[in-house]
Amino acid sequence: MNTLKLYFKSIGMLLRSHLQYPESFIMQTLAQLVMEGGELMVVILIVDRFQSLKGWSGGNLYFFFGMMSVSFYLTELFGRGITGDFPMMVRTGRLDTFLVRPRGVLTQVLCAGTDPRRITCIAVGTAALIMGSTLSGISWNLLKVIALAESIVMSCLLILGLFMIEAVFSIFSVKSVELVNAITYGGRSACQYPVDVYPLPLRALFTVIAPFALTLHVPASWILDRPLYGWPSWTAFVTPLSGAAVFAVMAAVFRLAMRHYRSTGS
Amino acid sequence: MKAYAAVFRMRLRMELQYRGAMIGGILCQMFFGLILVALYRALYAGGAQPVPIEDVATYVWLQQAFFRMMLASDADLLDKIRSGDISYDLCRPIHMYGFYYARIAAQKLTGSLMRAVPMLIMAFLLPRGWGISRPSSLSALLACIPALMLGLLCVCALENITVAFTMKTLDPRGMQGLLNLLMVTLSGNLFPLTLFPENWQKAITLFPYAQLLDAPIRIYTGGYLMSGVLRVYALQAFWVCVLAAAGVFMWNANRKRMIVQGG
Repeated sequence: MNTLKLYFKSIGMLLRSHLQYPESFIMQTLAQLVMEGGELMVVILIVDRFQSLKGWSGGNLYFFFGMMSVSFYLTELFGRGITGDFPMMVRTGRLDTFLVRPRGVLTQVLCAGTDPRRITCIAVGTAALIMGSTLSGISWNLLKVIALAESIVMSCLLILGLFMIEAVFSIFSVKSVELVNAITYGGRSACQYPVDVYPLPLRALFTVIAPFALTLHVPASWILDRPLYGWPSWTAFVTPLSGAAVFAVMAAVFRLAMRHYRSTGS
Repeated sequence: MKAYAAVFRMRLRMELQYRGAMIGGILCQMFFGLILVALYRALYAGGAQPVPIEDVATYVWLQQAFFRMMLASDADLLDKIRSGDISYDLCRPIHMYGFYYARIAAQKLTGSLMRAVPMLIMAFLLPRGWGISRPSSLSALLACIPALMLGLLCVCALENITVAFTMKTLDPRGMQGLLNLLMVTLSGNLFPLTLFPENWQKAITLFPYAQLLDAPIRIYTGGYLMSGVLRVYALQAFWVCVLAAAGVFMWNANRKRMIVQGG
């Protein structure tokens, strides 16, 4: 609990420091809004031209897009330390100062970064969710709300876990490894559409290695009353837990990797 | 002119040094390409479209292969603007705009060619409908090369306009983000321009952003007929002139009000 308090305190401080330069902040936030708006526009153009994607209607597609966008940018908003700043911390030696403090390294890394500009991306995602929900005519009840919340939280943990792969690589190689982006940003681009439209190898990748299908698509399609592969209802609540599992595994790997951390000395 | 050519050559050689980053970049771009083609194939399974799927796959691969041409900026220059070191460039006996134009052109040319050649070879090896298909004719392939070069000149002129905005605001992220988004959307990187609604396409293909890669790709796939090729070149050349003129004008205006931060 203490750790959580610490986390929110540091995030609050970082937020205030971001707001010290309001013009730059507003400009960048607007740029983010346009960026995510552009992504949504692509989905709208796709729906305009093709009407449906392997049986998923336009409304369903907006719903999937919204869930992905909200989860991905919530992670970037709260986990910026891992998703963006970590390779820089290794390169500049800033990570060294974390080693002498009486808290876990991972906690401190997470406390060290936030990216409030993403708030507009989350707004676009939320708009897409509402649009998708209305167009698909979802009848909301308590269970569906729980499934939605669980899915988003677990997807955030999954995305954080995937970014930690890059972090672990950068502990060893100092340079950030561009290739890992394929699975994080690539996963986002691919999995904003339901996984069953892809051929088997890609489906396997996003079910077993980067299980976006389990954390996002299974519950989302259950909420849309079109269960993925016709799986029973309970799967919508159980499979998302794989996100927490990925995070736990990566946290352990991260701890192991930190034992081999050699400072760059700068 | 000789000085600019020398800058261009030097930068070309420097860019060739980064081979390690290149391989990672290629694999990453290949993966994105595969995802996109898989998505469009799934969309096409729902019903046929006026544009055949082979052309869409070709469009995706060419866009991915030349991705580096669009989003690569001169990090040294942006640093210089922030730190004020750009004032040293005023001492050079050549025009600043030309100097940096030659640098960015070399960077974009090598960066994209080094990635494009291996990527396109791999994309050719993919099965039909997944990979890139052959050009509609030999003359289309030959006609596509000058169009690509004109596209490169165009994107460099655009890049220098973005830099001119950075000189004003000092922080590259806001304006650059907006302009880059316009670029990836209107150049067809995010979504092939050939799949935009037809009446939008009439306007969008006239924009400068469509001259970068969309025009060469359409020549390649036969979307623009050989008889109309000269018209396409003319439009591209027109935009190169307009954008370069606007860039030179903005750079000169910025040079007058440049404040050196001391230090």
